[in-house]
Amino acid sequence: MSDTKGEDADEVPASDAAPPQQAVDPRLLEILVCPLTKQPLVYDRTRNELISRAAGLAYPIRGGIPIMLPDEARPLDA
Amino acid sequence: MSNKAMTDETVSDQTDFGFRAVPRADKKSLVREVFASVAPRYDLMNDLMSLGIHRVWKQIFVTQLDPRPRRRLLDLAGGTGDISFAWLGRGGGPAILSDINPAMLEVGRNRAVERGHVASLSFLVADAEALPIPSGSMDVVSMAFGLRNCTDKDAVLTEALRVLRPGGRFLCLEFSRLEIAALIPLYEAWSFQVLPRLGRVFAGDAESYQYLAESIRMFPDQQALAGMMRTAGFSRVAVRNLSGGIAAIHSGWKL
Repeated sequence: MSDTKGEDADEVPASDAAPPQQAVDPRLLEILVCPLTKQPLVYDRTRNELISRAAGLAYPIRGGIPIMLPDEARPLDA
Repeated sequence: MSNKAMTDETVSDQTDFGFRAVPRADKKSLVREVFASVAPRYDLMNDLMSLGIHRVWKQIFVTQLDPRPRRRLLDLAGGTGDISFAWLGRGGGPAILSDINPAMLEVGRNRAVERGHVASLSFLVADAEALPIPSGSMDVVSMAFGLRNCTDKDAVLTEALRVLRPGGRFLCLEFSRLEIAALIPLYEAWSFQVLPRLGRVFAGDAESYQYLAESIRMFPDQQALAGMMRTAGFSRVAVRNLSGGIAAIHSGWKL
């Protein structure tokens, strides 16, 4: 009854060849919006960025922490 | 486009950085440099600067935040984590520890790991003037010793109001105006003579602490900040002085 939790580590997808990096908090990924447009973001797992199509910006994630500053974001190629 | 609230008043192209006037566009990076410089010693310096009283102020502040398990906290300018940790330690719900400065947040994360607070805590680098948080999604927004360092304080208040759900509350802990006239000379001497020296000795950085002392003097007093909160749209704005007004807690509801 009480010992069924916490053993789901084998659910983690291991397919990405990206170097090991601290995982982004899934609760944050769920709610974060673009600070400029307040529109939803798309998580680009391979580049480890949060994409705001409306603003044309990709916000980096460093050490598992989303850096939601337009100054630090990469402009998306047109 | 940005939905940052525009005010009618003409926006000057200069703002305060301590006692200096600097171009508005420069303040953010100047403040960032100050906090990147002080981050590793920030907690120690706070103890020295306030003789440990900042810990008492923060405890009072967190009590006023009224932590409850189902409440979500957005901790703005949360830096090294004092407010978020106390919130979680007192049974508060999920907290987002945010700061514009990754160096401060890194210190906070290391402390969170030591304290075992990681499970209900998220870390976020964000500018309080333009939050990456959906409207109406937070129950409590807190900002302790952060608003002073923001360039556009009205934008911060507008954003705090936006992300709160109706019935949610914003609380700000900040240095304010000492209301005991007899103590003012002592306080001035402490701030401008002792503090920068402490900064030089303990953090190797007198200038940053000079800035901190100056920025406290430039910050709106109790009534001025309360007025700004009402203008931003907060209801039932209240002020509580701490240590005779050296610091104050401002609170307001989104109704």
